[in-house]
Amino acid sequence: MEWFNKWTNTLYNTFIVDDRYKTLITGFEKTILITLGALALGVVIGTIVAVIKVFADGNKKLRPLDFLCNIYLTIIRGTPVVVQLLISFFIIFVSSKDGTVVAIITFGVNSGAYVAETIRSGIMAVDSGQMEAGRALGFSKLRTMQYIILPQAFKNILPAIGNEMIALLKETSVAGYVAVMDITKAANQIKNTTYDHINPILLVALVYLALVMGLTKLLSVFERRLRKSER
Amino acid sequence: MNDNVIIRTEGLCKYYRGGAIRALDGVDVEIQKGEVVVVIGPSGSGKSTLLRSLNLLEIPTKGHIFFEDVDITNPKLDVNLYRRKMGMVFQHFNLFPHMTVLRNMTIAPIKLLKKTPEEAETKARELLKLVGLEDRAEAYPSQLSGGQKQRVAIVRSLCMEPDVMLFDEPTSALDPEMVGEVLDVMKNLAESGMTMAVVTHEMGFAREVATRVIFMDEGQIIEEGTPQEIFDNPQNPRTQSFLSKVL
Ligand SMILES: Nc1ncnc2c1ncn2[C@@H]1O[C@H](COP(=O)(O)OP(=O)(O)O)[C@@H](O)[C@H]1O
Ligand SMILES: [Mg+2]
Repeated sequence: MEWFNKWTNTLYNTFIVDDRYKTLITGFEKTILITLGALALGVVIGTIVAVIKVFADGNKKLRPLDFLCNIYLTIIRGTPVVVQLLISFFIIFVSSKDGTVVAIITFGVNSGAYVAETIRSGIMAVDSGQMEAGRALGFSKLRTMQYIILPQAFKNILPAIGNEMIALLKETSVAGYVAVMDITKAANQIKNTTYDHINPILLVALVYLALVMGLTKLLSVFERRLRKSER
Repeated sequence: MNDNVIIRTEGLCKYYRGGAIRALDGVDVEIQKGEVVVVIGPSGSGKSTLLRSLNLLEIPTKGHIFFEDVDITNPKLDVNLYRRKMGMVFQHFNLFPHMTVLRNMTIAPIKLLKKTPEEAETKARELLKLVGLEDRAEAYPSQLSGGQKQRVAIVRSLCMEPDVMLFDEPTSALDPEMVGEVLDVMKNLAESGMTMAVVTHEMGFAREVATRVIFMDEGQIIEEGTPQEIFDNPQNPRTQSFLSKVL
């Protein structure tokens, strides 16, 4: 029992003294905020890119936009997200005071490049008769996309969006590279002030694991519901 | 120009693969107000292409389409405005699966004709009643039979108050026992004075309801006339040969 007392003592020193657990809580909130913000931004960017790419297939006027999209996709997919963070913080948004916002933008722009392809395939999976029916009623291509195609496409790809959220949650742990105090960075800071090299890191690992397992569970329940509603 | 002409085409051509496939090869057709024009012909003869060109779902390679005297092949026109006035019913219904029957019917009038939701819904329920589906307004398409789906598709088009209705093999995807209920709706629509162009293999319907029958083959109109003329006394050997196979 002696090791146990010693351990609880260490935990007390590490997390409770000086209210250090509070840094972890704000870090946790920041991680969630960055993840959700980046996901939302990524889905918006991904949708715009996907729609441009789908429409550019049959429309010469959209070629320049399509070309811009390709540049965006190539750059984002061709560089590591940590490097993108560094570029964001020290080159593009160097005068910005709000690291969280810059992190959301960076992870969002990054995620958009990966989500775009998922959304595009979701759009392609919608029966072509849907576009024809929309056009035949008098809707423009864009309105048909908005009211008729995209809602069906998103239903198809919701599980993939869920997986993107899980990936983002873990990916944001590198935000500490640019001094954003997310949960990982918070743990690291506690580690450095208390010289407890074990517990802060393990705790953070447990938090991520619990979040991911919870989300995965939620997702599979959701997917089953979705499939049932389709019969 | 005659005020009663709703659609007129001039030398309409649709080529694929740089002219290797001539889906439409110089079609001149005129549809007058109140006419029910039935288009028949072998598979691949260009019937669908003709119908789909009339509302520019296919862009013709050559030729002109006049809708109520406006040349809608003019690329400067906003074709969406003219499509509203041409209802279209597809072989595979193409209902919107993520919307209820009612929403399927009201979304276009609300968004495009700026009707209030109440107006649009009242009109939709009226039409549903006409086709015996008033109790299915809140259902989703996946909960309907094929015949019910097609009846909804027809009234969905009617909600836009079109000047002409185009039907592309509306009963071909249906189980035989459901063909009648859809043809009945179309017959009632014809009797109410709607201008219709119908591609179908239902020769009984053509004989009974059509004011004019057009026989197409290889992208061209081979022969046209009243149902009596075409079915009882076809002139062209190709018409004769086709009819001998399907009648
Ligand atoms: N998108 C397309 N690409 C190439 N050929 C096509 C296309 N659409 C139709 N066709 C060809 O055009 C011809 C007419 O087709 P269609 O109008 O569908 O005939 P129908 O409706 O009378 O059966 C056929 O030979 C068909 O293969
Ligand atoms: Mg056809």
